[in-house]
Amino acid sequence: MQSRKNSTRESGVGGERRRSSILFHLVSILASSLFILPLVWMISASLRQPGLPPPRAIEWIPDPVTWSNYARIFQLLPLGRYILNSSLIAGAAVCITLVTASWAGFAMSQLSPRGQNRFINLSIILLLIPVTAVWLARFILFRWLGFYNTYLALLAPSIMGSSPLFVLLFYWAFRRIPAELYEAARVEGASALTIWRQVALPLSSATLVAVGILAFLLYWSDFITPLLYLKSQSLYTLPVGLRQLQELDRTNWPLLMAGAVVMTFPAILLFGVVQRFFLQEGRLAGIYGK
Amino acid sequence: MSRFRYRNQLMMLLAPYLLGALALVGIPALLSIALAFMRYDGISAPAWVGTFNFRLIAANPTDFRFPVALYNTLYFVALATPLRVLGALALALWLNRERRGVGLYRAAVYLPTVIPDVAYALIWMWIFNPLYGPVNLIASVLGLPAPGWLADAKTAKLVFVFMSAFQIGEGFVVLLAGLKNIPSEYYAAAAVDGGNTWQQFRYITLPLLVPWLLLLALRDVIFSAQNIFTSNLIMTNGDPYYSTLFLPLVAYEEAFDRMHFGPGSAITILLSLATTVLIWFILSIIGRREITDAE
Repeated sequence: MQSRKNSTRESGVGGERRRSSILFHLVSILASSLFILPLVWMISASLRQPGLPPPRAIEWIPDPVTWSNYARIFQLLPLGRYILNSSLIAGAAVCITLVTASWAGFAMSQLSPRGQNRFINLSIILLLIPVTAVWLARFILFRWLGFYNTYLALLAPSIMGSSPLFVLLFYWAFRRIPAELYEAARVEGASALTIWRQVALPLSSATLVAVGILAFLLYWSDFITPLLYLKSQSLYTLPVGLRQLQELDRTNWPLLMAGAVVMTFPAILLFGVVQRFFLQEGRLAGIYGK
Repeated sequence: MSRFRYRNQLMMLLAPYLLGALALVGIPALLSIALAFMRYDGISAPAWVGTFNFRLIAANPTDFRFPVALYNTLYFVALATPLRVLGALALALWLNRERRGVGLYRAAVYLPTVIPDVAYALIWMWIFNPLYGPVNLIASVLGLPAPGWLADAKTAKLVFVFMSAFQIGEGFVVLLAGLKNIPSEYYAAAAVDGGNTWQQFRYITLPLLVPWLLLLALRDVIFSAQNIFTSNLIMTNGDPYYSTLFLPLVAYEEAFDRMHFGPGSAITILLSLATTVLIWFILSIIGRREITDAE
């Protein structure tokens, strides 16, 4: 289906086709390497021995390879504690998000076309408002509510499904389910909550996993909220810990890169699980419509 | 069951989303407009000061350096947004085919977008480190000049532009989907008429992709202007000589370092205002219809 654009171009003779295929892979590999390079350099730098003079040429594998940087950062700061904090917050936020976002998405999918459009518009407007546009007032509001220096400030966005994008993803997933299934359940007298749990959710497991992982990444990476709200060091999350590591020694690059690897690795692992969902099916694109 | 009761149940399911959006976005948005006209330090009672905060910004005290920050922000957006949108477009066009390994290439392009902000900022500080960084090492091997990058007021902003050009996964995915949405008959018809690849792109792909590109550009303008905060704080904190002082950092310092919520809000409002004008402008061009009908 996607090859249609090239079907005409590739109908030439076999040799030409092979040449165009080699060219395609060559350029693609080049482009891909460019995007992987930052990660490669991060890992390579994290294995360098601290305090060495600058290398004369670019070194892909440092000599000697030093794994102790990873142990060192855990000695300098309670990173284990921070990782635990980050995981707990992200985990809790994922659970709440999956419920609230899928509720909203389900309800939207059941409304009249006009109602659906109204909420899609609302979600798109919300999607266009960045955190930094409302952070000041939100800070004052949260402090007044007593959220300062508690995890409530960090978890609060999960009440609204964390991101309007997640609500929309659920909405599109639930809308793909044949209306007869919903109708049949309603004829039997099932409530909205029952239909959500017994019809909609079981048929949307891919979306459930994808939103769960995307939400985890959102909270795992969040730097601004803990920066603004957390005062006690025992509450710190990993992004704030990484900032602390930077403030300890701004020039110890091997240690900083080791910290960056620790922070990035889980994100990439989860991305590996979810990449099929949005790279092959292009579901994210729903936001932008036809 | 009555239709009415079912509708009420649906509204209950929507309630957390709607009330959450009201409490986390709606009320704070209104509150920050009010704060822009107030004096508030987080301790004593807020006082109405009219347009004082805006006049203060216009008077350009050394605390804010508003004109410099505005110039830097516009400079960054003007370079980063076209680079990001065109980069995403080029990659989407190139990788929009069913070949073996194409999934891997797409994943590679998306990869930098997944890296958490703080880690991403640190990585680019390392890459552009004048002495140790890979970029200057390559430059010295090739006999090219090795600038100070983040340490040099002339090049510091470019590092931010450059690093933002690698986090284009979202736009890339969106444009991939946009390309898939173009009916294949159009290309078949063009082939019958003997159109070449360039003509296909110019007369079929590009016109059909324009709404997507505009929306992408719009979202990019909003978010690149605001999301620069984390890397700004981690990498330069505005140095050297305010050459990388961007507006969100000014608002942050004013509000959270000095507890001047009034001027801080005023700066935020001015930034939001500029982007809102852009939203309105772009939406009025492409028409609202395009984005309401999803899927």
